[in-house]
Amino acid sequence: MELLKRILYILFYPGLLYCFVGGLVLAGIDRKLLARMQKRVGPPIWQPFYDFFKLLGKETIVPRNAAKRAFLAAPVIGLISLITVSLFIPVFKFSPFSTYADLIVVIYLLTIPAVALIVGGSASGSPYAGVGISREMVAIISYELPMVISLLAIAKKVGLELNNGIMTFSLSQIVEYQAQNGPLFTKLSMIPAFIAMLLVIPCKVGSLPFDIAEAEIEICEGPLVEYSGAPLAIFKLNHAIKMLVMTSLFVTLFLSGSGTGILAVDAILQFILSIVVVFFSITILKAITARLRVEQTLRFYWTYPTALALLSLILVYFGL
Amino acid sequence: MFEKLIQKGLEKSAWLYHLNTGSCNGCDIELVSVITPRYDAERFGFKIAGSPRHADIIVVSGPITSQSRDRLIRTLAQVPEPKVVVSLGSCPRSCNVFNGSYCVEGPLDKYAPIDVSIAGCPPKPEAIMAGLVRAVEILKEKRRAMK
Amino acid sequence: MTQHLPILAIITLFIGAFIVALIKEKNEVLRNTVVLIATFMSFIFTLMMYKPIIGEGNIITYWMGNWEPVQNWAIGIGLEVDQLSLFFGLFISLSIVLSALYSFKYIEKETGKDKYYVLFLMMSASVMGFIFTGDLFNMYVMIEIMTFASVALTAFRNNKPEAVEAGFKYIAIGSIGSSLILLATVIIYAQFHTLNLAQIAGELHNNYTITTLFALALMVVGYAVKVFAVPTHFVAPDAYMTAPSSISMLFSGIVNKAAVYGILRVLYVVYQSMNLPSVQFMLIFWGTVTMFIGVTMALAQHDFKRLLAFHSISQIGYVITGIGLATALGITGGLYHALNHTLFKGLLFLCAGAVYYATGTTDLDKLGGLAKRMPQTALIFIIGAFSISGIPPFNGFVSKWIIYQASYEAGYAPVTIIALIVSVMTLASFIKVAQSAFFGQLPKEFKNVEEVPLSMRVPMWIMAILCIVGGIFPSSFTKYLITPAANAVMNSAKYVEVMMGPEFASKFYNNLGNAPVIDYKLAGYWQPIAWLILFGILLLAFTLVALLGGFNPKHFSYSDEEDAKYDVFYSGESAEFSHVGGSDLFWGLKYQFRHYFDLMHKIHNGVVNDYALSVVLTAAVVLLYVFTFVR
Repeated sequence: MELLKRILYILFYPGLLYCFVGGLVLAGIDRKLLARMQKRVGPPIWQPFYDFFKLLGKETIVPRNAAKRAFLAAPVIGLISLITVSLFIPVFKFSPFSTYADLIVVIYLLTIPAVALIVGGSASGSPYAGVGISREMVAIISYELPMVISLLAIAKKVGLELNNGIMTFSLSQIVEYQAQNGPLFTKLSMIPAFIAMLLVIPCKVGSLPFDIAEAEIEICEGPLVEYSGAPLAIFKLNHAIKMLVMTSLFVTLFLSGSGTGILAVDAILQFILSIVVVFFSITILKAITARLRVEQTLRFYWTYPTALALLSLILVYFGL
Repeated sequence: MFEKLIQKGLEKSAWLYHLNTGSCNGCDIELVSVITPRYDAERFGFKIAGSPRHADIIVVSGPITSQSRDRLIRTLAQVPEPKVVVSLGSCPRSCNVFNGSYCVEGPLDKYAPIDVSIAGCPPKPEAIMAGLVRAVEILKEKRRAMK
Repeated sequence: MTQHLPILAIITLFIGAFIVALIKEKNEVLRNTVVLIATFMSFIFTLMMYKPIIGEGNIITYWMGNWEPVQNWAIGIGLEVDQLSLFFGLFISLSIVLSALYSFKYIEKETGKDKYYVLFLMMSASVMGFIFTGDLFNMYVMIEIMTFASVALTAFRNNKPEAVEAGFKYIAIGSIGSSLILLATVIIYAQFHTLNLAQIAGELHNNYTITTLFALALMVVGYAVKVFAVPTHFVAPDAYMTAPSSISMLFSGIVNKAAVYGILRVLYVVYQSMNLPSVQFMLIFWGTVTMFIGVTMALAQHDFKRLLAFHSISQIGYVITGIGLATALGITGGLYHALNHTLFKGLLFLCAGAVYYATGTTDLDKLGGLAKRMPQTALIFIIGAFSISGIPPFNGFVSKWIIYQASYEAGYAPVTIIALIVSVMTLASFIKVAQSAFFGQLPKEFKNVEEVPLSMRVPMWIMAILCIVGGIFPSSFTKYLITPAANAVMNSAKYVEVMMGPEFASKFYNNLGNAPVIDYKLAGYWQPIAWLILFGILLLAFTLVALLGGFNPKHFSYSDEEDAKYDVFYSGESAEFSHVGGSDLFWGLKYQFRHYFDLMHKIHNGVVNDYALSVVLTAAVVLLYVFTFVR
């Protein structure tokens, strides 16, 4: 029975099916909202599904210079890792596999999709991909610093109150803390970290001002330049799922609460909150900004978000 | 079941790759206006892709010059099946006013079969939209033939 | 029998060296057999010590020539192998075997092979002697043999001017390090009239004087020179780059580790500075600086082996930081990382050697696309690169994760942050190697390179598999290897008691032999097996979905023919114009930190005088620090 339940988790709710549908719907909503902000009608919300299935029906060309196996395996590995990470993220109090991985592990597992993108792009042998992966890597270095500091601040904050001052990286403890004391973003010391993480999300999912790696105008979508057909479809799916996973993680870290206790309601609530986060951190930025250069991205992340995150960490040490 | 979804997908999501083979930029500007809020081709799922590997419809504008010929042939070969070639404006059909220039090699159909031809110098955005919708139908037919 | 195992493990290697010197160039097969047997025997002897030492928790002591202590006064040379020594001994002797196996094919085309093997065995023997010894002067002797063998091996390819230059730099800096260690040894001898580590440890217990502190500072700096910690690291890149790869692997795998062992032994067992915050802070600060400067320098390199050398420095920074934390978790992380570093860095150096063997160069700007010609090496490289960058589920992740937890728990938040960033930068520089050596365009001149022979691939595969195993079963690794070693570090009383007898030890220690129970209060969770199972189930589900429809294998097209369809897209240009060199990557990062990189460029100026000066300066600073803060 327990086993069956777990398999259901893996295949349906926080796992495969939910990631597929939820991710693509989220991407569709993002595109629709963006279009409305630009006074366009915009594509239907199901547009990412159409894109996905169209790409499945296309021919897949493997370039002569490509390392074939790495080229074809990379998108699948990225996809599976993302779905696995999604299983570790609690939905309010519900977490199917919470004791398997903690916050730091989740952050590291979240780099696997980025690494898969890099390896896939690199394996294609294209010079555009070469430039793209170098930019992607710089982007990772950029956002990692504020993200890490924010997470350490959370760990310390939760640990101070639940764990007698020793930090905790356990996601379920963070959720438990919020169930007792209200969402973390209502705490004074967490507000800077909250803003910093909100700014990290667009770079992590590679959306507009920070989509330096996949700039279609300059470097022809960088690492994806040689991909066509099914692998490209999977990479586009990865992109959408990354958005879902990152926003779910954000909701879990900052906006979680006691929830209602009913899984279906909680799940819908989580998804709605995810949409809200996408709206504020991705869509608005996408609509109002233009793409930054590589070194501008680095400078941006290592100044304002990092300063905010540090402020948060210091406030936590002061006990606020 | 998948085939139906794929057909639907092809209908609703055709990605363009724009290839300028020596155009005067008039057509290019008109093509860009198709994705502006006024005409908003994204309603129908049209999107300008960055790489020919991602494209379903290749929009060629301009006469084929000697500089662009090899690049055109190579780029067209790199587009995965099914693909549709659309000529935008008069130049790819007839070389228009550039005909006879020392550097113009000839119209597009010398090098690649054209599926849809959008006339005009430059064509109106409405005409481009109509042409693209026609191209999508051909795309679906080609997919059926591919099976 | 058990009692003789340590000396056997050392002496087989020395005897092997002498036999190889006698054989000379005469019989290649015989020579290789001797080398293999000597290294393998040494490994077996070390392995045989596992059961009595770690399994049963004993400590093996051995008095050379049966010169046992008289009236609690050690006069002979003693060997003492506790869990810490054995932990180092196990992976060191393993990497010696693998390196020997790799060497046979790798240096086939070189001249002077007999000298290579003599020096190789001397170096290996000295490292084994160093970690199994219980005698301060013996430690110095062994590290001296090690340094001179290393110097000669660095300059092994003496037809290359860089090799000779590197050898010269190494001998200059290495000698300074050795003389610092010698001076410290002399001072301690003058103070205590004994050279036995256990006896010194007993006498030193809660009994620091200004003289012993002086010796401590010199000793730490001396070993820091051997470990290539940052202000003394300048010689490392040259040495690692020009030495044959099988030797570079040993440099980072055993020479460095011997020095780490030296620091651990001297600081925590002899000086028992476990609870001194000042010493901890010194090590943590030193380690953090080392890891940061190492990795940033690595980002700027465009030679495969030089890049690996800077990573060696950087990863040793992690080890020193972990050790410096001096908590159970920190020492576990540090020791685990030392083990992992030997595995993955050895692996990467062997990959670099394979690339050199196949193409004749390690310059990243010239290489490219080798994954098509050398698929196995490329796969092994990817495993190594992911391990060192700490991508789960490989072993590097586990040890780094423990270090993050330990450092944050100990209240060193900046260290955690820097360590996390360094880990990402490590990934960045290995992405650079992957892109410019194994992926990307294959240059015309390498069209016909071939995969390296089996005898070179076997050691690489063994290490790669160990990397994966170490990442998937971290709890068994900690339980059966690292916790006993960490326990040994934290329990110096036992070390003294076994060596010198309980009546000597009870003079100094109140409670003998009961090890502090290490409580791993892991704040987080990581179950690689569970993750892998989830991953596997999802992969299965994905494959099922894929087979049900959607993915039509007919639509995959791939061909090796000259067809424009299979060219890479380069805006319509033909493929030969498209190559992104290794040094062109990471422009944004290098641009943004150009002032820092300019400064680093100025510091690494290649002048030996400056390097020597920096070592002396380090010694001065450490002396000042120790005199001021350590009580």
